[in-house]
This record gives sequence, C-alpha cells and structure tokens, in this order.
Amino acid sequence: MSVPLVNIPPTRSWRDIPQPVKPRTMSREGRWRLLTATLRVAGVVAVLGALGWAAWTVSEVVREDARKLPAVARAEPVRHLELITNGVLDQDWLRQALALPAKASLMELDLAQLRSRLLAHGQVNSATIERKFPDTLVAQLSERSPVVRVMTQSGAGESKAWLVARDGVVFDGVGFDPAMVATLPWLDGVTLRRRGDGFAPVAEIEAAANLLAKARWEAEHLYRTWMVVSLARLQSDREIEVRTKEGTLVVFTADGDYFMQLARLSSAWEKLAAAPTPPARIDLSLGREVSVAFAPAAGQPPAVAIAPRVPADRAFSFFSNPQPNPKRELQN
Amino acid sequence: MSSRTNFIGAVEIGTSKITVLVGEYTGRELAIIGCGECSSRGVIKGSVVDYKAASECTHSALEQAERDAGERIEVVFLAQTGGHLEGFYNEASVSVKASDNLIDAGDIRTVCDLAKSKELPAGRMVVHNIRRPFRVDGRLVPGTPEHLVGQRLEVGYWTVHGQEQRLADNIHVIRGFNLEVRELVLASLAAGHMVTTPEERQHGVLAIDIGAGTTDFVLYRDGAPHTTGVVPVGGTHLTNDLSIGLRLTDGQAEKLKLRFGRANVQVRDKGQKVWLDGNFAIGDRQFPLLAIEQITAARTWELLEVVKKKLGNAFSSETCTAGVVLTGGSAKLAGVAETAAKVFGVPAHLGEAPTWVSENLRDPGFHTALGLLYYGVSTQAEKSAPARRGGGFLTGVRRLFAST
Repeated sequence: MSVPLVNIPPTRSWRDIPQPVKPRTMSREGRWRLLTATLRVAGVVAVLGALGWAAWTVSEVVREDARKLPAVARAEPVRHLELITNGVLDQDWLRQALALPAKASLMELDLAQLRSRLLAHGQVNSATIERKFPDTLVAQLSERSPVVRVMTQSGAGESKAWLVARDGVVFDGVGFDPAMVATLPWLDGVTLRRRGDGFAPVAEIEAAANLLAKARWEAEHLYRTWMVVSLARLQSDREIEVRTKEGTLVVFTADGDYFMQLARLSSAWEKLAAAPTPPARIDLSLGREVSVAFAPAAGQPPAVAIAPRVPADRAFSFFSNPQPNPKRELQN
Repeated sequence: MSSRTNFIGAVEIGTSKITVLVGEYTGRELAIIGCGECSSRGVIKGSVVDYKAASECTHSALEQAERDAGERIEVVFLAQTGGHLEGFYNEASVSVKASDNLIDAGDIRTVCDLAKSKELPAGRMVVHNIRRPFRVDGRLVPGTPEHLVGQRLEVGYWTVHGQEQRLADNIHVIRGFNLEVRELVLASLAAGHMVTTPEERQHGVLAIDIGAGTTDFVLYRDGAPHTTGVVPVGGTHLTNDLSIGLRLTDGQAEKLKLRFGRANVQVRDKGQKVWLDGNFAIGDRQFPLLAIEQITAARTWELLEVVKKKLGNAFSSETCTAGVVLTGGSAKLAGVAETAAKVFGVPAHLGEAPTWVSENLRDPGFHTALGLLYYGVSTQAEKSAPARRGGGFLTGVRRLFAST
C-alpha cells in the first residue's frame, strides 16, 4: 500500500470537542449514573483482583508441592499417624484409641468423632486432629498429670488402682513410669461415683493437690514419707490428713499457708527424731502451735509434747490404710 | 461497535419536542425497545439557548425512554440541526501512480484526504463529510474504484460544518446525563434515510423535513446524499404569522393551524367562517377560513421556495426524477405535498415509515429519530467493517434498509 505524498492540513471535526464534563454540571440522574458506573468499575476491578489473588495462591500451592492437589483428588488411604503430646502417650495407644477403619482415606474420616474418641480417655485433657495431605493424620494432645492414686474394688471383688489428676479426673494411667506412680500417695476419704466406664471427677481435690505439689517441691524429704492423703474432713473441718509410712497422722488445714505448715512440720520432725517412738499424730491446723500426740503405752494416758494436750480419742480417731478397704462401697 | 448487545439512544433535540428512541443492537439486527418524548424548552430554531431548560427536558425524555426500554442507554446518536449548519462542495483529483494505471487504496485515500482538506473558518467544525461517487477519467463509479484502470481519479465531498459552540452545547446536554455521544448525524440525513428508498435515492430524490423551528433537506443523487441544507423556518413561523395576521395568542394560532391550516388554498366561499374553539364559550369567536388558508399556504409556499433557492443548480426535475418526499411534524399540514409538487415541478408525496416500523412510531415526528438510529448504526457498521473483514452485521443492516 502506497503512502500519500501530499501534506494535508487536518480539519477540525466535532469529534475534537472534549466530551468529559464535571460532575457538578451534570443533572442528578447524570451524577447517579456516573456513581453507579464508577462503582461498577470498582467492583469489576475488585473481582478481577480477587480472582488474580486466588489464581496466584493456587499456583503457589501447586508450585510448592504439585502432588498436593492430585493427592486430594485421589484421596489416598491414611498411612501415617503423627502424635504430638506433652505427656507419655505413644503411637500404639493412639492407633488403638482412634481405631481407624482399614484403608480409610483422609477425606472419609470424621475428625469430630475421632476427637471424641480421644477425649473419652481421662488422661487426655484436650485434643486436636488435622489432616496432613496426602496420607498423614496428625493428633495433638494435652495430657493430665496424676497427683494421687486411688484404689477401687469392683462388685466382683477385683481391686484396681486409678490415678487422679489435679482437676479431679480419675483415669486409668497409661504409659506412666511405675516408679513414679509408686511415689504418689493414696487418696482416701472420698466417695467415687460411676460415670460411664469411669468415674465422676473428685470434688475439692485441688486443695490436696496444692499441698502435695508444695510438699513435693519444698519438702521433698517429708513428701517421700507420705502414704495416704485423706479428704474425709476437708469439707467439714477444712482439714487434710496425711498418714506417713511410720504411721503418724499429720493434720493440715486447707485454709492456712501450706509452706508455713510444712516448715513447722519439718521443725517438729527434727525435734521428734530423738523420740523412742514416732508420734501418733501431729496437728498443724492450730495456727502457730503444733500439737504432737504419742501413742499411749498400755495402761498409761497418752503423752503430749510441745503443744497443748490433744484428746486421745482424736489422736486415734482416724485410720487410713493404703490397702484396699473392703468395706468401701462404690456408689454407682 | 462490538458484536455484543448495545443499547443505543437516538436523541433529537427539536424546537417543539425532544424525542428519544432506544435501540437494542445485537450486531445482527436492531430493535426499537423504548421511546421517550418531552416538550422542548430552551431550544430555538434547533439551537440550545437555555442550557438548563434544555438539559432538564432532554434528561426527562432520556429517563422516560430508559424506563420504557427497561435498559440503560450506553451511547447516543444525536441529531444535529440549526441555522448555523452550512455546507460546501469540494473536489479533488489525483493521477494514478501505478505504471499500469491500476488504482490502489493509496490513490483512493489520497484523493479522499485532499477533497476533505479544505480549511474552515475559525470557530467552525466539520459535522459530516459526505462523499459523492468517484469518477475515473470522468466516468462515474458507483462503488469503490480500487483495482480499476484509469489515469485520473476524482472525488468530491459535500462538507457540512457548524459553529463549534452550538455543537458543543448539544453534546454537553447529553454529557450532563453521563452519556457518550458516539455519532452526530444531520437531522436531514437521518430523516431522509428513513423516508426514501434506495431506488428513489438512486434516481434522485429530495427529502424535506419540516420541523417546528427548522426545515432540513437533503438531495440524493446517484444513490448518495448530494446536497444538504437547513432553513431556519418551520411550523412555528406559520403559527406566528397566523397569530399576527388574525390577532391571536400563539396557543390559539397553533390550534387554528392544526385544525384548519392548509398548504394550499382550497376554500371557495369567501364568507365561510370557522370557530376558534367551537364550544361557544366566552371568548370563542369566528375567523374567515380563507384568511387562515391564505396565510398558511403563503408561508408554506415561501418556505419551499427558500429550500429550492438554497438548492440552486443542484436541483432540477431531470436529476430528481423520484420527486420530493416530505416529512416532519409540520408536513402533516394538509395540501403540503401538492404545494411542494407545484414549487419544485416534480411529484411530491408525504414520507412514510417502512412497514416494519410499529404503529406507534409511524408518525412523521419520529422519522428523524428512527433514521438517526438506523443511519447511525449503518455508519458505525461501515466504519468497523474493514476490521471485521466479514461485514456480517453490515450486511444485516443493509438488508434492513434494502427492505425499505
């Protein structure tokens, strides 16, 4: 195509008239049309932006691991179980507790149901379960720690030891070191109530848990000698009774400072070390005074040292045995 | 225009009323889906003299049309009229460059650009460049001369130009509604396109659109517009003459004109009188029918004479064998066709809309807006046809006109 060689001056056409006008010169309807047109353009831009962002996100996912999306489509069966816990439970327990169907794929699993299975075990305080594509199920657990043990006896006469957590939950401890469990005192003076396959939480255990924790960390030499912790008089007298290996009954008040009570006990214990027989009762619930009672010899009244005399009947009014008590009946 | 559905508004800002038609153009066919009308204010002889009043009326008509159509207008084809519009003819010729004298696209473009390149006075702007048929060595070529053999290529353009401020005023009225003016079309071309057939245009026909404030005309020869013009006289001048001659208000004169006015004197009884209202109410009085007819006939004759004079040598009974076609609101005056036939010496008749136009749009008052829509669409189609190469919808639009 040839190019014209003539120089032709441009003529002004009506198309050279500028059409844009200021909104204030428009009519009300014109301004409304301008506003809606602007909003429409803004909406289109927003939608395009969102689509672009979504496309970018998908491309990033695919670029990071191209197998992910196809794996979802294929819905591979679960091959791995991953356990993240702050306690002692292990993979075997998890596999047994979840009881996954054979060859179930990740997308077929009901995570809420699996979570409820885990929470059915009292040792599990909280649980989250998530899918990790392509074939891994991840369980993240928070476990309860035992503070005392409790012995129960079924109707058939079988005895069984349970663990009690700080929040009162009674559970069948799994995976704990037996040596550690053996150091836990026994719990007495409480009534366990059946709930499903287990027991309802023990009420007011927290006071005893605080005492035990304080003793464990501040007076470990005393804690080691504790055999039984009784809550029998907690509700009525606000007293916690501890039976030691030597047979001494130590009475704490739940309303006092445990640290001070432990300090007095430690001091009294040192002074009583030279005594021919261990004291039968040490009462720390009297404030600054400590009442110590010895078991009376045959035909003699009970002897009291340091503190005002304590009635003899009180000194022997309570007895706790770490062995299973056949008289205790479980209320269902 | 794209092939998607477009909603086009055809707007005629007239002296007596503003007409808006909404067309739905699918790329293949055009359907009229909405209509809006509003009495005009702020417009005298086709020019906007009160921007606010004219805007209010136009926007009201646009709103009405959009409501009627149920769609929003996207672009506007605007009719242009007014006494400020003028035209001139300019032609150019080039020697065919190729050694084998084969005319190519470059030759055509060069001769067209040359013919359109005449400088305009200050403040004037081109509204239309209407090309007349090419001539190759003096021989008329109805279509494109590309690939024909010849030594000299000639073409002429009838250039219509107008005052920049008047054109801008009209455009800004539409822009005030936040609509784009896609095409500015002479009212005469729009109306002429609607009331004449391709055969009439080929044989030569004069289309006269007598409006309220202006009379637009277009003379077709060899199938294309040859000459256009605007006379700033219309139906309101007949009303004005009646008002002065019979001492009436404009409203009374308009009423008499519509009821008894004629473009030729027919009454023989000089004593025949007619009532102003005919209801015998206080103030109702009689007027001689002869006087009414004489005034309207004289003014109509004079108007047509002015048109003939403006056409000059371009019009002759030999080159306008298809006669005269009259349209516009004031063409409804009785006897106007007979008067036109006498003035121009050729057959004359009232223009009618094509049969496919619905009944409520067949009034002569809608011819300009209808033509605007179809002329605008066909013009746009022609512009975009080379890019499309197929010319599918151009063919469709042409088929529409072919049926007229």
